[in-house]
Amino acid sequence: MTIPPDAAHPPLSGVFFDGRTSRQRAASLALSGDEVRLRAEGGLETHWNVSQLLIDPPVPGVRRVLKFPDGSRFETDDDQTVRGLEARTGRNRGLERVRRLETRWWTALGALGATLVLVGLFVAYGIPALARGAASATPRPVLATFDRESIQFLEDGGYLGPSQLSAARQAQLQAGFRRVTAWAGGGYPYRLLLRDGEPEDAPFELGANAFALPGGTVVMTDQLVALAHSDRELLGVLAHETGHVTHRHGLAGVYQGLGLTLLSVAVTGDIVSAGTFAAAVPAALLRNGYSRAAETQADEGAGQYLMRTYGTTRPLRDILARLEQEDRDADENSVQEGSRTEDLLQTHPGTAQRIRHLREIEARGRPAASSQK
Amino acid sequence: MTDAPAPPGRHDPPLPALALAEAGGPVAVAEQPKVTVYPVTFSGQAGEYFRIWIVNTALSVVTLGLYLPWARVRQRQYLYGHTWLDGQNFEYTANPVALLRGYLIVGAFFLAYLITGNLERLSWVAGSIAALFFVLYPWLVMKSLRFLAVSTMYRGLRFRHHGRAGGAYLTYGLANLAAVLTGGLALPWAWFMQRRYQVQNAAYGNARMTFRGDAGGFYVIALTGVALAVGGAVLLAVPLIALMALLGDQADLDLASTLPPAVLLGMGAAYLGFLLLYAVAWQYVRAATLRYVLNHVEVGGVVRTGATFSSARLTWIGVSNAAAQVLTLGLAVPWATIRRARYIAAGVQVRAIASLDDFAASQTPQEGALGEAATELLDINLGF
Repeated sequence: MTIPPDAAHPPLSGVFFDGRTSRQRAASLALSGDEVRLRAEGGLETHWNVSQLLIDPPVPGVRRVLKFPDGSRFETDDDQTVRGLEARTGRNRGLERVRRLETRWWTALGALGATLVLVGLFVAYGIPALARGAASATPRPVLATFDRESIQFLEDGGYLGPSQLSAARQAQLQAGFRRVTAWAGGGYPYRLLLRDGEPEDAPFELGANAFALPGGTVVMTDQLVALAHSDRELLGVLAHETGHVTHRHGLAGVYQGLGLTLLSVAVTGDIVSAGTFAAAVPAALLRNGYSRAAETQADEGAGQYLMRTYGTTRPLRDILARLEQEDRDADENSVQEGSRTEDLLQTHPGTAQRIRHLREIEARGRPAASSQK
Repeated sequence: MTDAPAPPGRHDPPLPALALAEAGGPVAVAEQPKVTVYPVTFSGQAGEYFRIWIVNTALSVVTLGLYLPWARVRQRQYLYGHTWLDGQNFEYTANPVALLRGYLIVGAFFLAYLITGNLERLSWVAGSIAALFFVLYPWLVMKSLRFLAVSTMYRGLRFRHHGRAGGAYLTYGLANLAAVLTGGLALPWAWFMQRRYQVQNAAYGNARMTFRGDAGGFYVIALTGVALAVGGAVLLAVPLIALMALLGDQADLDLASTLPPAVLLGMGAAYLGFLLLYAVAWQYVRAATLRYVLNHVEVGGVVRTGATFSSARLTWIGVSNAAAQVLTLGLAVPWATIRRARYIAAGVQVRAIASLDDFAASQTPQEGALGEAATELLDINLGF
C-alpha cells in the first residue's frame, strides 16, 4: 500500500454535490485502508470502497473531481492526495503522463518543435509522396477519361482549332513523337495532337504551347512548331511532356491540392472560415512549388533523351529561351535571371534556372554519352 | 443519503424571497425582491493553456489525428474548468471515445467527398455526399446542441437541450432557405429563429430557459455589419483605384510582360484590405449577437444574464486575434482564446432575485437555473 494509514493522512477538504440538486456543501473525505469516508455539511456521512471511485483525469489548474456510484461527487484542490489515489487504483495513467508533459515549459517547447518538424516534413515529402502513390494507383481507364474530357472541353470551348500544318509536316512530327514515346516507355496509349493554338474567337489564346494530359495525350500548337528552328527542339519539348505522363504529374497535382486542402483544414480547424480564406495564399504558393519540382523532373528526363540522341541539351535550351522572349531570333544567352519573389509566383522555374539545369545535365552526361557511342 | 432537517448556515433557503417572486401578490408589490449580481470570472492563463494546447496538438499530429478528440476535450476542460460563477466552476464531461467515433465518420465522408469531387467519373458520389450533408444539416445541429448541453456540468448538475428535429428543420433548414431566397433579407430573422431555438430548448437541470429577444435586434446588428463593410470598402477602394489609374498610365505599354511590382503590391493590398473588411464585419456580428443574446436570456423566471462588454472592443479582439493567429501560423491560438474568454467573462453577470444559495438548496424547478445562462455564454463562445 502506497497510502499511509489514515492516522497519518489528514482528511481532504472540498465541496460535495449530491447530483440531484445544485446545492453546494462543504465536505471532507478521509481515507482508511480501502475505504473512503465522506462527511458533508448537513450531517451527511457515506463511505465507499476505493475501487468504486471514478476519478476525472487531471487538468492543470482545475479542481480534482471524485465521482461516486450514486451520482454524487466530491471536488477538492488537494491534487497531491488525489494523485496518490490514482496511482493506487491505476486510473488515468495515460492522461497523467500527458499532464506531466503539459506542466513543463521544456516539454511543451519540445512538442512545438516536433509539430513544426512533422508539418514541415509532411509538406516537403509526405504530400508529394502520397500524391505520387495515389497517382500511380489510379487505374488507367480513369486517366483515359480525364484526357477525353479535357480535350473535349478545350475543343468545344474554341481554345484549340484544327492544325494548319501540311499533312507531310504532320506525319514527320508524328514519326518523331513515336521515337520519343518508344524511349519514354511506360505502356501509355500515347498520341500527339497537333492543333492551332490561336483559332479565331478563342476566349484565351494558348499561343506557342505544348502540354501533356495524364493518360498520354500530348497537345502541341502550330505556333510552337513555327517558333522552332529545328525538329530537335520540338522533340526536346515532346520528351519533356512525356516525362509529365510517365511521372503522372497531372494527377499528382490534383492529389497535392487535395492534401493541402486537408492540411489547411487541420491547421485552421475549420472547413470554411476567414482562416481558410487566408490560408489560400500560402497553399497556392506551395502548389506552385510542387509544380516547379515537377517541371524540373520533366526537364531532367528531356535532357537525358536529348543527350542520348544528339549529345547536347542545347535544342531545348534554345526553344525555352525563345518561348520566354517570344522572339524567333532569341537563343539561350538572351535570357536574364528573374527575381526570387517573382519565382515564387510561377508554376514553372525561371527560364534562366531551367537553362542552367539543362547545361548541368549536358556537363554531367557528356563523358557517359561519348563512351556509349 | 440522509435527509437532515434544514441545515443551518449559509445554505439556508430564504424561502420568503422566493415565495414573493413566485406569488406576486400585494406583499410582493410592497417589498421589492432583492437583486443579487454574481460576476463571471475566468482564471485561465495564456502560458498554461499554450502548453496544454501544443502538447495535445503534437500528440494529435504524432497519432495522425486519432488523439484529436482527447485533445479537444482537454482544451475544453481547461476553458470550462477555469470559468467560475459564485465560487464554483463549470465542467466539460464529453467522452473522447464517443467523439472519436463521430470524427471518424465525418472524416471519412469529407475525404470521400474531396477525392470523388476531383474525378469526373465519380463526381456523382461527391454530389450525393453534399446533398446528404444539406439534408442532414439541421439534424446535425440539433444533435450537437444536445451533446454540448449534456456534456456541460455546473455544481454537479448537467445542462440539457430539449430541441427536436422539427424545430431544427424549421430554424436551420427553412429559415436559412428563406434567407437565401430573399437574397439575404431574411438572414437576420433566421439568426433570431436559431438563437431562440438554442435558448428556449436549453435547461439547467430541469429549469428551462426563455429568450426575450426579437428579430428586430438581429436586424440592427446585421445592418450595422453591412454598414461597416460598405463604409470600409469605399474607404479602401478609393485610394486603390487612384493608385491603379496612376500606374496604368505609365505601365500600359508592356502589359504582356511581367507585372510591375507596384501593381502586384496594390493587388496584395486590396486582397488584405478585403480580408480585413470581411473579418471586421463578421467579428462585429459575432460579438454583437453574443451581447444581444446574453442580455435576453432568462432562466426559470428568476435569473437573468447580462453582458456589459463592449461589442466594438470584442470586435477589435476578434480581428486582432485573427491577425495574430495568421501571422504566427496558428501559434497564437491559445493566447487569443484566453484573451477573448477573459474579456467576455469580465463583462458578463448573472442577476438573481434570490441569492444563489437559495437556488442551490431549492428542490423546485427554479432551483439550479442560475448556471444556465453562463453555459449559454460558453455555448456561443465555443460553438459560434
